Amino acid sequence: MCISFGRRGGRKLPVIDAANLSLDRRQAVGIVGESGSGKTMLCRALIGTLPRHGAGIVSGTVRFDGQELAGAPERVWRGIRGREIGYIPQSSLAGLNPVLTVETQLVESIAAVGSMSRQQAREEAVALIERVQIPRAEQVLKARSHELSGGMRQRVMIAAAIAQGPKLLIADEPTTALDVTIQREILNLITQLRQELNMALILVSHDLAVIEEVCDEVMVMYAGASVEAGPVAALSKAPRHPYTRALRVSRVDRAVPGRDLEAIPGDAASVGSWPAGCRFWPRCALADEACRRDSQPALMPTGQQLSACIHAERMAELEQ
Amino acid sequence: MLRLLRHPVLRRLAQAFFVAFLLMVFAFLLIRLIPGDPAMILLGDEATEEDVLAYRKLLGIDGSIPSQFGRYVANLVRGDFGVSIRSREPVLSIVGKRLPVSLWLTVTTIVMTVGLALPLGVAAALYRRTWFGHAFQIGASVMVATPVFFSGLLLILLFAVQVNLAPIAGYHAGFPANLYYLWLPALTINFVLVPVLARILQSSIVETSSEEFVEAAIIRGTQGWRFYWRYLLRPSLAPTIAALGYFAATVVSYAVIIEIIFNLPGLGMTLVDAVRNRDYPLVQGIVFLSGLLVVGLTFMADLVNGWLDPRAKIR
Repeated sequence: MCISFGRRGGRKLPVIDAANLSLDRRQAVGIVGESGSGKTMLCRALIGTLPRHGAGIVSGTVRFDGQELAGAPERVWRGIRGREIGYIPQSSLAGLNPVLTVETQLVESIAAVGSMSRQQAREEAVALIERVQIPRAEQVLKARSHELSGGMRQRVMIAAAIAQGPKLLIADEPTTALDVTIQREILNLITQLRQELNMALILVSHDLAVIEEVCDEVMVMYAGASVEAGPVAALSKAPRHPYTRALRVSRVDRAVPGRDLEAIPGDAASVGSWPAGCRFWPRCALADEACRRDSQPALMPTGQQLSACIHAERMAELEQ
Repeated sequence: MLRLLRHPVLRRLAQAFFVAFLLMVFAFLLIRLIPGDPAMILLGDEATEEDVLAYRKLLGIDGSIPSQFGRYVANLVRGDFGVSIRSREPVLSIVGKRLPVSLWLTVTTIVMTVGLALPLGVAAALYRRTWFGHAFQIGASVMVATPVFFSGLLLILLFAVQVNLAPIAGYHAGFPANLYYLWLPALTINFVLVPVLARILQSSIVETSSEEFVEAAIIRGTQGWRFYWRYLLRPSLAPTIAALGYFAATVVSYAVIIEIIFNLPGLGMTLVDAVRNRDYPLVQGIVFLSGLLVVGLTFMADLVNGWLDPRAKIR
């Protein structure tokens, strides 16, 4: 898929140009990458709200249950959003309307499905709140956003996302703004709901550890391109792209006391100033003439995964 | 008593009373700051010093300013606003006759303001990148910059002279017949109020539309009137309603010019005459009472706001 920012008639600025993602029913896929790598843009494309960010899909497809959604009219998207695909947006702490109660917002999502009496929708809302493990449901339903803690708001957002029983849940950095203990609870909750409701899951995070915990498959993004994809176990044991390896060694939970954290050298390539050749070469220890010269490599099978590094095989040797 | 003041609405009410008191003091002092003496104006140039003094005593405006103020407040507490110097008619009865006209003008104006500014502001926000948005920007600036005495005459020429949809001037009491006389004056005031209010609303809606919760609602699949009312309009209303309360107040002062242009027998015209004649009791009474009206209207706007938007609730 290829997504660009751009004005009518003006120069188009690519944000994503080589991202591939596919998942089966009930599968959980993680998307990992630094800020600016295009994770959120990719998810927005999957829910059809790119135009609000001034971007559009230039080429490529978005298929859901066999239905082609790229370039679909707003009318089609309305049937998808909430109903087929639930979405927990990135800064969902500000995701609740401050002037409405939690109840009003949940009931409106629930009532969107078929005909339901007020009373039924209300009961459903209570059930939803209990489902996302919020105690004192009645009290929370009457509350407004500013009366809830961050963890509570996130739970309410999750409840709203699953209100219409979607087949796919997209969670864009669902734990980023929360403190560590609550992060764990939210991750457990998402995992549990996924199993109970038989949903597929796309989990976006910049933290590989989070994804390893929740997902079966992972796709690593760098500067608008998929650079490695495959089973979580394979990528974490034997990464075949230097960027994945770098993400892995820079993890905080792998840090050794008394030693500096290993950081990835240099800055992430930002939109509009991607280097020629493989986009990771300025920060890569393996980079050689070919990396600088050729264009961004496509994903190629290697080991149990796909990698977009021309030195994937050499990496396998190095690891041993 | 002080415990009661902890209740936010009651505290706000107490504030309103304090403002009303200040208003009364200002009304009393301001009219006395203007050069000219009612007794001298009434008696003319020929009057002797003794005549003027005697007449002042008769009118109750003799003695030092503090002693006059004391008497004024004492009478006010008993509900006595005094008697007009010019017509010898009780101030309350004059206001009672003139106030309904001004009230009707205010109400008609505000209803019209809301009716015009709300759709205009919403449209200007939704279509701000189209020709309509640009036309609105320019049109609003031009309208705000046009003085009411000019736009008033223009509207009279258009609606009363060219097409006979309104009288050129005058008034006839009784609802709904009076609306025939009031709609053009109200429209004239709205020439200034509507563009300002619509722009306030437009910018709040634009601001709201970039809030995360709006995006979140779209993503959840919220649509139709629910989306527009709950997620765009309602969270944007607070500044507009606060402004509306303030506008209701300015209508009272616009009314002075408007009532002269359209020859409406309201408080505004009475006030101008009273100031010219240095009719102290009448000026004090009108300024104080219409001030009370303004204080009441802003108080009401605050209450409505607290109800519509919990973030703006009076604390």
